[in-house]
Amino acid sequence: MTRTLNKPSVIMMFILPAFITFTLIVIVSIIWVFCVSFLNWNGMTDGSFAGLENYRQLFFEDSNYWEIVGNTFLYTVYELIWQVLGGLLVAIFLTRIRRGRAILQTLYYIPVVISTVAICQIFTKFFSVTPPGMINSLLGLINEDWYYLEWLSNPNMSLEVAAFAEGYKYFGLYMVIFYAALISIPQELEEAARIDGASVLTQILRIKLPYIKPVIISNLIIVLNGSMRSFDVSYLLTKGGPANTSQLLTPYMYKQAFNSLRYGYGSAVAITIVILCVLLGVVLQKIVIRDDKED
Amino acid sequence: MCVKRLTTVLAVLLISVVMVWAGGSGETGERDTITVLLNSAGSNDETYRIWSYIFDGFSEETGIEFEYELIANKADYMNKLQLYISSGQLPDIYGCFNGPYSDAAKASGALLNIQAELEDIGVFDKMNKAVVDFLTDANDGIMYLHPQALYSEFFFYRTDIFDKYGLEPPTTWEEFLNVCQILLDNGEVPVVVGGKDNWQLTRYLSFIPWRVTHDDFIMNWIAGTDDFSSNTAAQAGVDLVKTLGTSGYFQRGFTSSDYTDAVNIFFGGTGAIFYGGSGLIPNAKAMYDEGKLGVFPVPSMQGMDNMSTDIPIHAGVGIAFNAKTYDETMRQLLEYAAEHFSEACFNAGVYSPYNDPIPEGMDQLFYDVYPLFENAQQSWVSWDDKLDAATMTSLADAEQELALGMLSEEDFISQMDRTIDTNNGR
Repeated sequence: MTRTLNKPSVIMMFILPAFITFTLIVIVSIIWVFCVSFLNWNGMTDGSFAGLENYRQLFFEDSNYWEIVGNTFLYTVYELIWQVLGGLLVAIFLTRIRRGRAILQTLYYIPVVISTVAICQIFTKFFSVTPPGMINSLLGLINEDWYYLEWLSNPNMSLEVAAFAEGYKYFGLYMVIFYAALISIPQELEEAARIDGASVLTQILRIKLPYIKPVIISNLIIVLNGSMRSFDVSYLLTKGGPANTSQLLTPYMYKQAFNSLRYGYGSAVAITIVILCVLLGVVLQKIVIRDDKED
Repeated sequence: MCVKRLTTVLAVLLISVVMVWAGGSGETGERDTITVLLNSAGSNDETYRIWSYIFDGFSEETGIEFEYELIANKADYMNKLQLYISSGQLPDIYGCFNGPYSDAAKASGALLNIQAELEDIGVFDKMNKAVVDFLTDANDGIMYLHPQALYSEFFFYRTDIFDKYGLEPPTTWEEFLNVCQILLDNGEVPVVVGGKDNWQLTRYLSFIPWRVTHDDFIMNWIAGTDDFSSNTAAQAGVDLVKTLGTSGYFQRGFTSSDYTDAVNIFFGGTGAIFYGGSGLIPNAKAMYDEGKLGVFPVPSMQGMDNMSTDIPIHAGVGIAFNAKTYDETMRQLLEYAAEHFSEACFNAGVYSPYNDPIPEGMDQLFYDVYPLFENAQQSWVSWDDKLDAATMTSLADAEQELALGMLSEEDFISQMDRTIDTNNGR
């Protein structure tokens, strides 16, 4: 059996379908989008070759683009904090308690299985100002002026609220992954540390976190990539607004291609997303490899 | 043996496919299905109620089946329509917007000259002139789209709130702003708007240019022979949006409320003025019957010549018949639709584009609003239909920024003039 599974032809048989599917769906699409990014095409009539014009406009004339790139990076940082750090802290907290752990785990995980549309509807109602939603009604009890606080419609706040909503939805998923990793740490290690007089904080920082470092890195990469390509929450909750203050790169690509009917321009935005994701992935990998060598 | 069995199976399959195909086409070669694409949420909206009434009736008479494809979201619908146009796969009947979309459908040869057909049937002259105006192609003056219905738009206002502060419905925009200020000073929410939906703020931007120039400004702006920086009516529209947004006349958080939210807010009892239309008559019934609600038309711009039509009238999303698949059956369907259209509209609770008498049993507001636009000659001009998609998207962003005070009037004007030039290759 082992010998059969080691045969190159058998290995290829398992790898090839996934490789072909991935190539057709991802690689071919990227190449196609790259080609379209050089066209001036509205999707209805024949497109014309535009050379680098879409990229020139994007980088040098589109006053929104760089603001949206900034928004996307900021959004990614918020997501790393909410999902990775938040998930990790809650997982650590759950390993420290005995009573009600299962109930809390379930409660934290519920948003993951609720549809994004429903989550966004809930947040829209929570953060409503006219009529006042639950948040403002509660804040209004403390200070009357807070009754009229604007959240989703506030240009200085909408990005943060959208990031919070996405963080709320997904942090339970990473919490479960971290929790599984934390409970897999051998008891002997903790016991030895306790006998040596290590405090709880020292145990976490010196034993638990280094032990689950590969899991932390995996989650970092997943959240980083997911946030750079985030679409649904921002689109459903704020439509990227007001104006473009909570706009992210992927909904902006959609807006340019499908709302503005500028397929070439939208494809140029898409290519920049691919490049940014690859660059970030490479940088993160370099950092991880360097850290591993230092360790 | 194995090859023989395989050949037999393939032959049976082939014959089955041929038989199914032949059955679908009908024994005589005549059509037995009509495909329909509509921007509709199904039984909950009047588009579906009107057209399914027609289709069901026709189906009962002829046995023809209708295959629906319904898409509720307007943006999704536009995407799908555009895909069908570019792939040459348009259905027999489809909702289409008068402007770039109808131009593209016409260029692909899939847009029937419905005006000629309706003239031939003898019902074209019965149609409301403003509706015809709304759907007339700007390039050749022909109506290619059948109206979805007749929609009129106007301002609802709370008579109880107006009476409380001794206010009269405004007739000019100056009066409108004065009323707003008095309402605001007294702690009321002056105007409710669904600022999250592009078209809501665009209405306020285009009210004054519409009253003063009808479609001259927007068509000339598109053609490059006029612009915001030199048209005083358009500039007044910009000032209006800025003032309404930044003076606190719109409800708090207006950019996070869509049209449905705004309807719920206003008919839920918040706000004194709301721009809506005949589609909301069922929502307004309770308040109107209690004497708490009135309507007024779009105010005039003081100090400028305004056209006489002050109630925006439009035809919703036009309904196109595919010229490539138009045959005798489709012609019979069009005749049937023309004959039963008013009945279908009144049954769905909306006005008919044909000048037929309104039957008894409708809401009182339905009768009271009708005289306001009965003889209207000029239609509403939807900027979102006329402008190319890229300019409209930029305009929607910019007007939000304008209303929130993030953009000055001057910056808005220069930005939009630059945008239209760029998008039209000038």
